[in-house]
Amino acid sequence: MQIYVCIKHVPDSAANIHILDDIRIDEKVAFLLNPYDEHAVTEAAAVKKKVQDSEIIAVCLGRPDAEKTIRSAMAMGADRGILVETDDVCDSMTTARALHAAIVQDGSADIIFTGKESIDSEGMQTQFRIGALFDFPVVTNAATFDIASGRAVVTCELSGGRTRTFELAMPCVVGAGRGLNTPGYPTFPDVVKARKKPIKTIALDSLAITPAAGSAKTVALTPLVQNRHPKKITGTPADQAKEIIRILRQEAKVLA
Amino acid sequence: MNKKYDAIIVGAGVIGTPIAYELCKMGYKTLNVDKLPDAGEGSTAGSCAIVRAHYSTEDGVALAYEGFKYWLDWENYLGNVTDEKGMAKYMNTGSILLKSEGHDWRKVQKHYDAVGVKYEEWDLDTIKKHVPPIDLHKFWPVRRPEDPTFFDEPTEMLEGAIFCPEGGYVNDPALSAHNIMRAAEAKGGEFMFNAEVVDIRSENGKVTGITLKDGTQIDAGIVVNVGGPHSFKINQMAEGVWEGCNIKTKSLRHEVMYCPSPEDYDYLNDGYHMSDGDIGCYVRPEVGNLFLIGSEDPDCDPQEWVDPDEFYAGKGGHGRDNVLTDEQWKAQCYRLGKRIPTLQVPNQPKGVVDLYDCSDDWIPVYDKSDLGGFYMAIGTSGNQYKNAPVVGRMMAELIDACEKGLDHDKEPFQYEFKYTKRTLDVGFFSRKREINYDSSFSVNG
Repeated sequence: MQIYVCIKHVPDSAANIHILDDIRIDEKVAFLLNPYDEHAVTEAAAVKKKVQDSEIIAVCLGRPDAEKTIRSAMAMGADRGILVETDDVCDSMTTARALHAAIVQDGSADIIFTGKESIDSEGMQTQFRIGALFDFPVVTNAATFDIASGRAVVTCELSGGRTRTFELAMPCVVGAGRGLNTPGYPTFPDVVKARKKPIKTIALDSLAITPAAGSAKTVALTPLVQNRHPKKITGTPADQAKEIIRILRQEAKVLA
Repeated sequence: MNKKYDAIIVGAGVIGTPIAYELCKMGYKTLNVDKLPDAGEGSTAGSCAIVRAHYSTEDGVALAYEGFKYWLDWENYLGNVTDEKGMAKYMNTGSILLKSEGHDWRKVQKHYDAVGVKYEEWDLDTIKKHVPPIDLHKFWPVRRPEDPTFFDEPTEMLEGAIFCPEGGYVNDPALSAHNIMRAAEAKGGEFMFNAEVVDIRSENGKVTGITLKDGTQIDAGIVVNVGGPHSFKINQMAEGVWEGCNIKTKSLRHEVMYCPSPEDYDYLNDGYHMSDGDIGCYVRPEVGNLFLIGSEDPDCDPQEWVDPDEFYAGKGGHGRDNVLTDEQWKAQCYRLGKRIPTLQVPNQPKGVVDLYDCSDDWIPVYDKSDLGGFYMAIGTSGNQYKNAPVVGRMMAELIDACEKGLDHDKEPFQYEFKYTKRTLDVGFFSRKREINYDSSFSVNG
């Protein structure tokens, strides 16, 4: 079974993000494997344990230094990597076309895992676009994944705490959510092994993908300043508890 | 009219608060001023709060061993004061010093014998029995993951360890400073927060007080610089003080990592503090069954000297601001990953970045100055947290003696340890000293 995992090289969410020229972020911050993609890689590794002769291939569209993120995915269980190299910031249409073309060129996917979203652009589209290009079924925000009688059985989290279970023909595309698993982080011996795993680098231009009819581009980037108005809750512990309940009911409206 | 105190202490961290406490007990009317909102919120809060006796000088060992006795007797030391935030707790894990080329452990052992520090010698089997997931190969020299030889297979083994049953860490360093503040207040000490000092005033070679950013002037014939990473800025505000120091201080950026313990190892409850010069790291348990991984400043790592105000404002960019870097995260976690091969290292760095108030030889300056009435307890270099209560007492006695006419530069003050009954020549910490080449020039002191 060939399991492809689409991963993204994203800025660390804990970094101090500075915007330059009102259009881009200062990229002199730590970049790492998109956290949702960690769940995707971990799930791929779990499938590989169950299904003999499986191979996990991490595919990433990004700058040359995204190789570091592919190494992270390989330390977590991917067997090899493909870096589709570009210095451009691509929209989800181009990204999906590039990842699709790279997978088609490489082999024959049985499952494609992605994260449910990337924490930088939060587009939540790429998995659906990849599915459409392959004509594969797609589900997202997966919380459980299983294979039964040659079909994928996936429970997804919906809004409001609901879940829905799907049965998908394979090959399929699955967007991993946080509930899917606990990421299996690498030990030092895993990191050592990952250094020897191969990464194939392909220039984006060489894939000669058909441009999408439409495109989306960032025209301005502004920081979102969230003003906080802390207030101190005083009084006896009983008064404080009462006030917290009042706030949760009347202001935050999270309690009935 | 300006408010007047006997002594103003600039800083309310874990060194500034005990100086106030001890001066108050001696009858001085003190005021601590701090630019932050509460005691211990500066670099004290970022301290790993490790309590261990191994230092590269005999005086360093003696001071740490004396300090240990204070932590054991915390409530009594503080006059059984109550703190509404609760009391800091000393966690006695015991302390392992691996015998390696990264530490001059023979010298440490000699100092232990001289001071009377209790210790055991452990062979590899004994270490393994106490720390089951450990790999005792020799990985020396310390390298960075960017260096391909970092990944070379080790072939030799370490030779053993020195284990001190007395050693560990304090669970909440900021709270410990807060506890001491409450104890000082109980003795009449006052504290002023959100107050930034912009000038140290003096007349005729004698300090007269401080001026705050809002223009407020407060007078005192004694001013003590305990400004932590801002110490060099405070010294520069006082006439002739900076120039009069042979040993200078500056602020050094430092990263400490939190990495989850392997699942089958209850490091929080079963683990030890361990100094591992072979990989350039020290570790202690942290809440959440985490390894707290500090760096012992190996030569291959960059030293980032920064402006403390820019640093705390999050300025300066990658590797110079208050955000962990991926490079150092990997360096420290992978180094420990060699020692603990089942340690799983997350992709996202987690930990603390703060500043050391670092002296030229990584040994502090506990001294008077060239300006009358101006004293300093600075240059703590990331290795003095454990000594704070003793330093508080020692500084108070030094100040009192100098105010009563002692010429400490000519006849250095001799401090009698309360518990271990040794005498310490406080001239050891003089600002006028030559660089002490016995030092490890690292956080090990």
